[in-house]
Amino acid sequence: MGVTAKLLKGTLYAGGLRIGKLDGYERLIAGIYGRPDRVPVILQPYTYAMAQHGLPARRFFTEPEPFVNASRNTAAYFGADSWSPIFDFYNIELEALGQKLIWRENSEPDVDTREPLVASADDFKRLKPPVPGKDGRMPYVLESYERYIDVTGIPPMAYACSPFTMAVLIRGYVNFLRDMRRDPAFAHRLLEFLSMEVVVPWIDKMVEVTRTAIVVMSDAWASAPNMTTQIVREFCLPYVEKVIRATNSTMRTVMDSGSWGEKEVAEPREILDVKMDMMTHGNGFKSRRPFFLLVWNEDYEVVGIPRMRAYAEEKKVCLMLNVRPDLIEEGPIERIVGNIVKLIAEGAGKGRLVLLINLVPVGTPVEHAHAAVAAVKQFGVYPIGSLEPSAFRMPSLEPFDEWMRREGLPV
Amino acid sequence: MDWKKDLAASVTEGDEIRAEELARAALGSGAPPREVLEKGAVAGIYETGRLWQEGDYFLPDVILSIEAFNKVMEMVEPLLAGEVGSTKGKVVLGSVEGDAHDLGKNIVAAMLRSSLYEVIDLGIDVGAQRFVEAVREMHPDVIGLGAYMTTTMRNMEGVVTALREAGLRGSVKVIIGGAPVTADYAERIGADGYGADAVQTVAVVDRLLGVS
Repeated sequence: MGVTAKLLKGTLYAGGLRIGKLDGYERLIAGIYGRPDRVPVILQPYTYAMAQHGLPARRFFTEPEPFVNASRNTAAYFGADSWSPIFDFYNIELEALGQKLIWRENSEPDVDTREPLVASADDFKRLKPPVPGKDGRMPYVLESYERYIDVTGIPPMAYACSPFTMAVLIRGYVNFLRDMRRDPAFAHRLLEFLSMEVVVPWIDKMVEVTRTAIVVMSDAWASAPNMTTQIVREFCLPYVEKVIRATNSTMRTVMDSGSWGEKEVAEPREILDVKMDMMTHGNGFKSRRPFFLLVWNEDYEVVGIPRMRAYAEEKKVCLMLNVRPDLIEEGPIERIVGNIVKLIAEGAGKGRLVLLINLVPVGTPVEHAHAAVAAVKQFGVYPIGSLEPSAFRMPSLEPFDEWMRREGLPV
Repeated sequence: MDWKKDLAASVTEGDEIRAEELARAALGSGAPPREVLEKGAVAGIYETGRLWQEGDYFLPDVILSIEAFNKVMEMVEPLLAGEVGSTKGKVVLGSVEGDAHDLGKNIVAAMLRSSLYEVIDLGIDVGAQRFVEAVREMHPDVIGLGAYMTTTMRNMEGVVTALREAGLRGSVKVIIGGAPVTADYAERIGADGYGADAVQTVAVVDRLLGVS
């Protein structure tokens, strides 16, 4: 079935026209728009896949074939409904601009914040926009997305770094704070350049190559407490809107999946409202836009899931909750299952809940990740029934190497 | 003009250009370096801490204030070198291996300096053996480990283990902090203390060293 048919099936199912069984992708679509057959669970294989396949970081983060194959294998082994080819997506445009990264043997590369590319106003004058798809690791990203399509048959969710977070990284946090306070005109010129000369052409290129329908910008540096909502409204949101207006189309959704920090403010709604504004539909159709409210465990554990659920329902958007990574790592299985049951009990409602395993820390026993996914499959079936953790049935497990051999999967 | 009040205010407001000017002028007119530091810069950063704790200041305000404080400190510190009672103790700080974040560590460093600790900052992505070498070479009273990601937090335990294996664990106190870190985790890995924020970290170090 083609991707359009899958989208249609998922959205119809969400609306009550429940024909046939859903596959993982269709379940995710149904979960975003309404009530699927059960709560969808997405996995970001990331560095766990890298370690599970014994790949050095240099290969995983530069070579499309091992990157996509390893990510696919890990996601399939754990049985997630859907997975994203996640790489260090904050760094791609920055590296293409010439920003130095720190590379390590066993973890993702990071921007070298000791040497920001735009250390002075003169550096900014010298900055040249990258050639989309040619500079830095942009070819790696495009080829990885093409491979993802080959492997899964559906276009990937593509990722970009938001202009605001890019400005912080390319300037350095303290420098950019000073810019915004003392020379806001310079800060706006930099943001304008990054938005229109870097992010927009890159998004256009990714969409041209992959025909992808959803592009997500991420905005870690627009989070509390690092930034205030006042700063975000003045320096971040206008450029999110600009990028979205420049890149949206009827067949394409570009969004900023936002930030975090609800627990850092007296009134969490302040941050939640900013998140919804980051999801602005710009010039797109609001009615079909796959809005979601992504809330991280650091925040929902303090503020409470029911409050997040109520806000998502008020805004008529899907609630997406990550599963706490250190819990998956540490276990034991009973504790992991108890946590999944709590997320479902407090978050599932009558639909529009997606659970995200955003990180399985390297070294996590495979049983733990299996238990997390299996618990969602057992307890997340709509209508939500008995949620007694002691009723959990752990599926039988095959060691990863044997499973790989039996499946005949390549790395 | 009351230079002490003005200097303190420029630090609190995060105006490092004015803070540097005022400190230079005060020293040039014969003000004792210790007075420039304590009545000006430290008074200013303490006011910042108060505003932060009362919820009137946000992290960006604190960061810029610390930058202003550091400007004055850079100027005054060499003039205080060797002065009796100039420091309460020596603290070595670093973000653990794999972690390139330094925001929290820098705030802690500034707050410790403002509380008259000598701070040696090893920077980011610091391996366990580098911490061991630092303890051997610099004989700090405390080492502070920062981790800002769940993935790198685990490397804190490696530092504690490496110190133990090198026979140095008894000679230095270990404190930890950072966004994903908890007091419970500190206890589990055998650290001596945990700082939930920079102000609390200073109090923890004071307590561990028995100073006020």
